[in-house]
Amino acid sequence: MTGTTWQRLKSDPLGVGGLCVVVLFALVALCVWSGLLGQGWSEVSGERWENASSDHWFGTNLLGQDILQRTLFGTATAFEVGLIVTACSTILGTLMGALAGWYSHSWLDELVLWLKGVLDSIPFYLFAAAVAFALQGNPWAMHLAMIVTFWTTTARIIRGEVMRIKEREFIEAARAIGLPGLVTVFRHVLPNTFHILLVQGSIVFVAAINTEVILSFLGLGIQDGVSWGLMLAESSQEVLAGHFGNFAAAGGSLFLLLMGFNLLADALQDALDTRRAIR
Amino acid sequence: MLKKIQIALLLALLILVCCGEPPATNGGKPAKVYRHAMDGAPGSLDPAQAASLYANFIVVTLDDTLYRYKYLARPYQLQPNLAAAMPEISADGLQVTIRIREDVYFMDDPAFANGKGREVKAQDFVYSIMRHFDPETRAQGAWLWQNRIEGLDRWKEQGSDYDSEVTGLRALDDHSVQITLTKPFPQLIHTLTQGYAAIVPREAVEAYGQMLSNHPVGSGPFRLASRDSARAVLTRNPDFRQQPFDLADEGYDPASQANLGLQVLQDRSPPFVDRLEFEFITEDAARWNAFTAGEVHFIKVPVSQFDNVLSQRNPVTLSPGFDGMYHFEASPESGFVYTNFNMDDERLGIHPDPEQNIRNRALRCAMVKAFDWDKRNEIFFYDIGRVFPGAIIPSVPEFDPAGDASYIQRDLKGARELLQANGWDEETLPTLEYGFPNSVTERQIFEQFRNFMMDAGYPSAKIRPMIFATYGDYQRAYSQGKVTLINSSWTMDYPDAENLMQLYYGPNSAPGSNSANYKNPEYDRLYDISAAMAESPERTENYRKMNQMLIDDCVSINGISRTLLFLWDRNAIMKPDRSFLGGYFLRFVDLAEPANTTP
Repeated sequence: MTGTTWQRLKSDPLGVGGLCVVVLFALVALCVWSGLLGQGWSEVSGERWENASSDHWFGTNLLGQDILQRTLFGTATAFEVGLIVTACSTILGTLMGALAGWYSHSWLDELVLWLKGVLDSIPFYLFAAAVAFALQGNPWAMHLAMIVTFWTTTARIIRGEVMRIKEREFIEAARAIGLPGLVTVFRHVLPNTFHILLVQGSIVFVAAINTEVILSFLGLGIQDGVSWGLMLAESSQEVLAGHFGNFAAAGGSLFLLLMGFNLLADALQDALDTRRAIR
Repeated sequence: MLKKIQIALLLALLILVCCGEPPATNGGKPAKVYRHAMDGAPGSLDPAQAASLYANFIVVTLDDTLYRYKYLARPYQLQPNLAAAMPEISADGLQVTIRIREDVYFMDDPAFANGKGREVKAQDFVYSIMRHFDPETRAQGAWLWQNRIEGLDRWKEQGSDYDSEVTGLRALDDHSVQITLTKPFPQLIHTLTQGYAAIVPREAVEAYGQMLSNHPVGSGPFRLASRDSARAVLTRNPDFRQQPFDLADEGYDPASQANLGLQVLQDRSPPFVDRLEFEFITEDAARWNAFTAGEVHFIKVPVSQFDNVLSQRNPVTLSPGFDGMYHFEASPESGFVYTNFNMDDERLGIHPDPEQNIRNRALRCAMVKAFDWDKRNEIFFYDIGRVFPGAIIPSVPEFDPAGDASYIQRDLKGARELLQANGWDEETLPTLEYGFPNSVTERQIFEQFRNFMMDAGYPSAKIRPMIFATYGDYQRAYSQGKVTLINSSWTMDYPDAENLMQLYYGPNSAPGSNSANYKNPEYDRLYDISAAMAESPERTENYRKMNQMLIDDCVSINGISRTLLFLWDRNAIMKPDRSFLGGYFLRFVDLAEPANTTP
């Protein structure tokens, strides 16, 4: 990110707000991973359905587990899923998109487009359920389902961008001096797609967190641990009995983080778009 | 233009009126429609496949079995249904002769010649049982009679030809059946009360094949009008036999049942309502809302509503807001919940090395001591379940009130000492998989279990969840011995303690019902002796000895019998049951105010 982009981002108050929210949640996730927070998520530390108190800020659930601890741990779960899925699907999508774009209208391009068409034609949650079923009990089933389906959008965008860039003069020059095709792609084409990947990555991150919550709610997600989706699933039985701790904590956290990410992604898109900046 | 629109609207209205469901009537009077909420939907309505509680519930209203339980008598008592009387049993207990009533007809159906239902005969019963041993039926009830009836298993091996006879299952004439057993089987008559033993006509099976599951043809008081995944509608069978209701015969107890209004049924012939509507509502909240809105007459109260519904747990008492509005019953289940150890797993079960075997037993016993039944009962069963040691539940006569209560008392200190004395520590304790089907409650039960073990020093990371998509997948996995810690429940098939003791009988190990894979020669010997005995002090003593073996060997963390809460509309005249009688009670349901019963 250039200094100019950073300046543009800083001048967008909503973007800065979004960034603060994301950074705050990221810090929480870091603290959980480093063992400073949320380690007591599975311990029974109170009585059933205790109200919010100084001991339990968000109250307790049916088992007497502290809802705050579970919410904090759920943040780490969300970030873990978001990071892994974003990294893997972005790398995969970039590679596939770059190859398809560079060798456009070749059999390789056709193959990538066909694969993308096939994967896009399968309803996502049905696909996730099938993967979860096929890899029964595997803690990575959910991640795999998301990576396998999320790369296609990134690939489509990168393919178009690569096709555009490869017609530019500096690529013509690279070809003229005899630089091998793949070296040109990785050294000169892909670095010019970074701004797109940044925005697309933030969109995938949001989608991954969202999907994790939905899959966990449906019982197809997190196996051992806790996530906001599991907390929301628990709350579906508690709300009827008048206990809203799980619902408020998990729903509120999810809302805040997704809102933060969306504001940040919008601001990033604006900051990286040179045409908008000129206008 | 306006006139054209008006005409179009009128026509549309006319079409709607003509094509809509006809108003339910009964000879000009408003029809009596009883609506029953169920927390699950049945799969097949073919009696041979009526494996679930839900399917069984509906099957016994559409079809007949030879015997049933008395509607109102508790403890449950057998009663002839299609049988003319109780069976005649030979002195050696091997030959059972049953007479069948002569006034019973199948309901009219195109499967019969001229569409007219014919008489139910002894041959139909023989055919219906044989179907369980025909692989093409994909039946699920064969285990009830496997290796019990002379020649039946051989008939299956020889290709399941219905035209060849089974030596031990014969129709002596149109109204007499003779069953020859391989060894005494006192529970036989109980098995003949179940949906699996319901009688179906061969014509219907041949006409509908696998579609019999959606097109049942029986001799019961109701016939299926429609069914989908959300509801089933049954209408009165107009040709159902006249069989006047007799309160005394059904075990009526004025002291405890007078308030149910059942007296009005005396001398009337069921069915008493024109239509039964089953609403399959799996979501607790939706089912509860349907009940409180008056859309259904009956509900098994979801556990999440216990706090609202009850003002007191011991004795169970309704809250003022519900008391007087509904009829109410707190009914102990005929079964129990347990966590079995897989004894075939060398990490905590039987080990070839005798020393390790002793350490494994200590590990299991420490886990039993670490388990907190009081907390389990409080959190998941609202403190109204009954905890007991072993596998003999409190509702059977063999239950020993003076049993080893220490087995169900939490003893954390004892658990830690036992682990330490046998060389178990955080390093040496094995990593175990705790299996459960995917659901919020099952996950919570797992987390609570892990917490109990953590309290005794078991590392959290060493008790891992093993989650299955459906209960069927889970059951398949533990039946194949693939799960180490098996959380499950057992509902008795019939009110005889033999049905409990067989859960730990060696030959019933995986893939049988002995999911603990417990194999104790002495236990098996006593089971073999006792299974052929009718209820008696000697059998009780044997069963109690076997129960103590389970406790001594720490085979399972057991158990608790749940208490089910039923609420039903005050207009509904009935005594509901979800146990051995099951759906049979729906034959006798009546509604006090028909005017208020149609939507």
